Amino acid sequence: MKTYEVFLKRAGKDPFTHVGALEAPDDDLALSFARDCYARRSEGEQMWVVAREDLLVADPTELEMADRAHRHNDGAFLRDLRQAGSAEPT
Amino acid sequence: MGETELVTTIEATGDPAETPGARELVLALADDELCIGQNLGWWIAVGPFLEEDLALTSISQDELGHARALYGLLGDDIDAMAYGREPHEYLCAHITELPCHDWAETLVRHFLYDTAETVRWSALADSSWESLGAVARRALAEERSHLRHATGLLDRLLRTDAGIAHLLPLFDQLAPMASELFDAPSGCSDGALVAAGVMACEFGNQLARWQDIVGDALAETGYQPQWVAADPEAAPLGGRAGRRSAHFAALHAEMVEVLSIDPSARW
Repeated sequence: MKTYEVFLKRAGKDPFTHVGALEAPDDDLALSFARDCYARRSEGEQMWVVAREDLLVADPTELEMADRAHRHNDGAFLRDLRQAGSAEPT
Repeated sequence: MGETELVTTIEATGDPAETPGARELVLALADDELCIGQNLGWWIAVGPFLEEDLALTSISQDELGHARALYGLLGDDIDAMAYGREPHEYLCAHITELPCHDWAETLVRHFLYDTAETVRWSALADSSWESLGAVARRALAEERSHLRHATGLLDRLLRTDAGIAHLLPLFDQLAPMASELFDAPSGCSDGALVAAGVMACEFGNQLARWQDIVGDALAETGYQPQWVAADPEAAPLGGRAGRRSAHFAALHAEMVEVLSIDPSARW
């Protein structure tokens, strides 16, 4: 059995979303099981099924390195500036 | 009634649904779907692996949906038709009543049943009974995924010696029973249905097409399916004439369990 990852896309502008995984003996049965496990209630109008071994997997340490406080902009600096500005008589 | 006379009668009434035998045909197909759907539903949580549990029970719900649509062509009280008739009033083929609590049996029956369904839905897809044609076309689309499931597993298992040894004897047992799916229901003349355009071809023709499909699927194994039971008297068929198999009583009791506790129950 191989592990497959399943992605569904609803109608409209929503992107494909990962909905889960399954095990199947081959690609054809993976598509068949994916329909019955994840899309039997018309949860999506398009489906991708990808063998997990075919995914390109990033090194998690690269993602840790990317976590820097200065990249998070919650707008507080600009908000404070504006509030300070609007308090002054014009 | 001669065929010409029949056609004249139909033209006079103008409603293909009134063709003699048309209601019996739909009732037989609906009863097949009801029983197979109920039996496949047994597999919830006990399949050989999780994905297969979900696949079989999802297919079960599809089949029950077909039963619902077919009963709906005959009247409004679907529950009364599905659950409230006397055993001899059901017209299902005996293969649909079999419990098949062995997964290999379920797989072989699933393959035989869904190939048969594909043939008979195809014969109804352009029916002059328009709402029946619409049900058939919708069902055909679902059959494609049922067949992908059945043939995907069967082809794979028949590539192994263990699979061949285990599965092929089941065809000897189940193929003759499945042939009953193409028997004419009581009171149903397929010649009249074909003449009225309700059905594209006669049951014998559908049976031959189904046998070709099944034979082709097994060709690589060198196995030739037997279409007639070695000892037909051991388990006489006759489901289409209202004769129920030994398994029907338990199946029916399970189907009506909730309804018999609370006749006003809704679901």
